[in-house]
Amino acid sequence: MSARDTILAAVRAARLSTGDRTDVALPDFQLESRTRETSGDQVARFATAARETAVDVVECTRAELSSWVKHRFPDVRRVVSTTRDVPGTVADQGGPASFADVDLFVCEADFGVAENGAAWLTASRLGERAALFLATDVLVVLSRRAIVGDLHAAYDRIELSSEAFGIFVAGPSKTADIEQSLVIGAHGPKGMTLALVE
Amino acid sequence: MERVGRVDHAAAAARFTADAPRTTWHDATLWFAREKRDRAAAMVPEWETLRERASTIKEHTLSRLDEYLERFEAKALANGAHVHWARDAQEHNRIVHDIFQSRGVKRVVKSKSMLTEECGLNPYLEQRGIEVVDTDLGERIMQLRREAPSHIVAPAIHLKKEEIGETFHEHLGTPAGMSDPATLAGVARTHLRERFLAAEGAITGANFVVAETGSIVVCTNEGNADLGTSLARVQVASVGIEKVIPRLADLAVFLRLLARSATGQAMTVYTSHVQGSRNGQELHIVLVDNGRTVQLGREDFWRSLKCIRCGACMNTCPVYRRSGGHSYGTTVPGPIGAVLAPGIDLDRYAALPFASTLCGSCTAVCPVKIDLDAQLYRWRQRVVEGGMTTLTKSAAVKVTAQVLSRPRVMWTLGAFARAVLNVLPSGMARLASGAWGRARQLPPAPRQSFHAWYESHRRNTAPREGEGEGEGDA
Repeated sequence: MSARDTILAAVRAARLSTGDRTDVALPDFQLESRTRETSGDQVARFATAARETAVDVVECTRAELSSWVKHRFPDVRRVVSTTRDVPGTVADQGGPASFADVDLFVCEADFGVAENGAAWLTASRLGERAALFLATDVLVVLSRRAIVGDLHAAYDRIELSSEAFGIFVAGPSKTADIEQSLVIGAHGPKGMTLALVE
Repeated sequence: MERVGRVDHAAAAARFTADAPRTTWHDATLWFAREKRDRAAAMVPEWETLRERASTIKEHTLSRLDEYLERFEAKALANGAHVHWARDAQEHNRIVHDIFQSRGVKRVVKSKSMLTEECGLNPYLEQRGIEVVDTDLGERIMQLRREAPSHIVAPAIHLKKEEIGETFHEHLGTPAGMSDPATLAGVARTHLRERFLAAEGAITGANFVVAETGSIVVCTNEGNADLGTSLARVQVASVGIEKVIPRLADLAVFLRLLARSATGQAMTVYTSHVQGSRNGQELHIVLVDNGRTVQLGREDFWRSLKCIRCGACMNTCPVYRRSGGHSYGTTVPGPIGAVLAPGIDLDRYAALPFASTLCGSCTAVCPVKIDLDAQLYRWRQRVVEGGMTTLTKSAAVKVTAQVLSRPRVMWTLGAFARAVLNVLPSGMARLASGAWGRARQLPPAPRQSFHAWYESHRRNTAPREGEGEGEGDA
């Protein structure tokens, strides 16, 4: 028997030896308290939660984005952008490693989650996703109207059938592996900015 | 990393606690994590409902695990992934090695994966000429020191920053005496960035895999898993078969619990969902049994497979906090480790179910409601039934049982002890109390037994209303 069939047969045998509990129903994921979680000022909740993950949250219009980036990141030279609102200076030069020394990566999030400050990004908007992890700084553009209350609402919106990759990002990379001291900027970005646009 | 023979947790714990200030520091460090978990949990009003849901989803899935594994496999294959199955650690290691060797992969980066630790993948690949670099900071520190992780979430939690500075000085050529965490993390960043960019292969574990979508879900704070998989041309995800969950929407329940339970964060920095490979990349998924189906068939212990590896039971455990992760001699230490390991080899890990006070704190914090203390107790019974206790312990229990079942013998011995304990030198009295007395002072022996006291006080007094026999329990 193949390893696959051996394992599946062992699982079936185990089911029988513990009384085959197929009566344990899969619970509905709707939670009663979701109305409370999703009420109130979601934008304010989201901004507070994001700031707790060391994200710099700013509010501006789409039209202002480009000039605002120049002001906020005056020294960056190598910019990779996957949004039309901000021009990039570097294109994909063949292979993800070419993004190794990117200063700033700009992309648009599908939506944000108020309960934890995370932004949902997908492959179709990210392009070569290595830039999201290799860049020194990351700027995520998010519409103020695209904020959901909690992760239950988030997964109601997520559609993965056409995406090879999707990710929640909640802050710049960080570690607390040395005596639980928080260090911002572990292997990935050292800073993250969220631009909430109209 | 030597793991030969029976684990003697008490002896290992004694070596750990020999350094009293360090034990106190370790205890407080882990308790700090427990307190962060408490604050995060208190922010979610429906926390208990979530735990209940998470537990039910896991029990449901485990009760039809074959069906969900087949569904996951079908979906992953449709997404373009290669799916492999491994009965045990050897088969897993062979599969991973074959994948890399046949594709000319010589340099591999690995993000945190307790399963590959469990399988001993690193030495297997290294002996066959493949370089494996652990990229989680804590795990890299452990790899440089040739030590096993002492905690599943924070592998280097037992080390002080000065020791990590020494390790970096020795292996990475940093100046001696470096101990600032930010500086040390910066050194590791530079050192590992080169490895990420040079790697041809990337290994990850999985926090969850989703049957509905074929997704591999990986949570990290450092971004190391994503750096590895977004750069390397061959990705391997090693997944224990118990990691599958039915629906994408179920992730909401587990992700709301996981980071809050583990580190007190609302969410890990990166929660990636991989459904397929990048352009020009190969994605391989290895589904591993390695004893899990045996545990699944045990009426008393199958619920231990609900574990989502948050580490909360370790952070709260009074024994783990004061004995350190290495004292368990297993990949997964702490209460959950002490429930899982005897299922693999009861004789070897017979000591672990006793590395507990049965206080139940682990059960109280477990986000998927595993009845850890009850399972530890049941393993103790198996150990005794199997005759695997030490001779002194079984003799002591036998004598105690004889005495307790014979009131006259007990009264006589009690009277003898009360007389003798007050005249014996305290050192000898403590000796007589066995291991319990090693770190404790015996109280002075009372003049009379409780039985005698009761006789003289209550014989002629009718109990008042509400003062029943239960009074003594208070």
